[in-house]
Amino acid sequence: MSVAEVGRRRATEWAARSLQWLRTTALPPLLLVIVILGAWQASGLFLDPLLISTPTSVLTELASMSTQGQIWLALLTSLEEMFIGLSIGLVCGIVLGLLMGRYWIVETILSPYVNFFNATPLVVTIPLLVIWVGISTQARLLFVVLITIWPVLLNTLAGVKNVSQGYIDVGRAFGLSEAQMLREISIPAAVPYILAGVRVSVGLAIIGMIISEIEVSMVGLGFLLTSFGNSFQTGKLFAVILVTSVLGVLSAAIVRLVEKRWFRWIGELSASQR
Amino acid sequence: MLEILEVSKTFEARDRRVMALQDVSLSVRDGEFLSLLGPSGCGKTTLLRIIDGLTEATSGRIVFDGIELQGVSRDMAFVFQDINLLPWRSVVENVEVGLEGRGVPRPARRRRALEALELVGLESVANAPPYTLSGGMQQRVGVARALAVDPKVLLMDEPFGHLDNFTRENLQVEVARLWERLKMTVVFVTHDVDEALFLSDRIALFRTNPGRMSQLIAVNLKRPRWEYNVRADPEYIRMREVIMDELEVRKLQMV
Repeated sequence: MSVAEVGRRRATEWAARSLQWLRTTALPPLLLVIVILGAWQASGLFLDPLLISTPTSVLTELASMSTQGQIWLALLTSLEEMFIGLSIGLVCGIVLGLLMGRYWIVETILSPYVNFFNATPLVVTIPLLVIWVGISTQARLLFVVLITIWPVLLNTLAGVKNVSQGYIDVGRAFGLSEAQMLREISIPAAVPYILAGVRVSVGLAIIGMIISEIEVSMVGLGFLLTSFGNSFQTGKLFAVILVTSVLGVLSAAIVRLVEKRWFRWIGELSASQR
Repeated sequence: MLEILEVSKTFEARDRRVMALQDVSLSVRDGEFLSLLGPSGCGKTTLLRIIDGLTEATSGRIVFDGIELQGVSRDMAFVFQDINLLPWRSVVENVEVGLEGRGVPRPARRRRALEALELVGLESVANAPPYTLSGGMQQRVGVARALAVDPKVLLMDEPFGHLDNFTRENLQVEVARLWERLKMTVVFVTHDVDEALFLSDRIALFRTNPGRMSQLIAVNLKRPRWEYNVRADPEYIRMREVIMDELEVRKLQMV
């Protein structure tokens, strides 16, 4: 078979697979989306647009906010805060989780606090944060840190403590030092747990960002949501909601991408073993 | 010489004590291929782990070249039944583990790991992730990982137990070849009578309840055994019968 033939065959196979995917995986949900959007649009004919607006006016509003730059400015403010807060939260969570998993004394001392904070609905700390650091970016950052740290901490701890005995045996049999055991065995073995924690924390970071923008000081996407809500600009409100949803979907996709790119073995492990 | 002196191991559960090994004494000669053969639950894997220092004996001592062993020994290397390759590392990085534990610098580590992979014929997949390898290839990496540290004693714990028959017989020949070539001491745990007869100079037979060594028999079959049909050898057949009788395999079947 010539190279060209192989290429052609691959192309047809790919086309067939894509078509199959469209028919079975993409089409049914897409149809439902179209039905729902259609119904929503039609409802605009007999319902007050103040209540639910319509898809077309949401898109128009989004376009105008986008050209005016209003939405971008808000997004940038929110993203910055979310990114910094999340980064601090993740680093602190992973480090504390590792320390707790590694040294029983650290775990014994810290676990009551971890359980306490993890069980507390952390929104209640906002007034306190404002008293401490004022109505400021720092207060909002602190809230994002506070809300994102626990899932990743607890997952890291669980991951380090649940390293398969087989891997530990390998490390011991081949004479790894305590430090090498942590670096070469425990931490990499805990990565699937840590990433699961990261996924939860990323989701919480968005929530934390919006809440703190509403509750602490009026900036970013949270401010837009409140002000459009208060002034009954339903179309614009929906547009902002749409932006935050897309933000959530994108963040989750980024975590998945990181996992696929740098930790491919995780997927292969669950596929091949057990 | 590797000496196992009156080793016992008791596992304690909440309300009962299990005697996994009772008073095992055994000397393994330098360069010898010795198998520990017995049914599951006879303590043979426990004994192997005690020899390596992975499990602590309740009583008794392991003495190697006149020195009593404490903890995991650097003269020995272990091949696990479950292989346990680290999935986040490439094949060659897996083989480097023992060299890292011995503080070998990076360039020398890579070179020695590649040499070990060459011994098992896998240098071409050095950079592949382990999950792309078949079970038989993965266990060859497990063997290479052990050989890379240049051990005086190779401890193999039912290394081919999870593999299919064809792969298993291939790897048995490969291990026999490696042993003839490298002339190291091997302690090999198995529950497969034919595997033990094909590979060993001597076979220690183990029985259960409590786990104990019942007999030590020498295998006087011409080597190399892959060059002729050893299983048709009258001596092979006789020894197989002796082992089956001693382990009461037939009696168990009649129950």
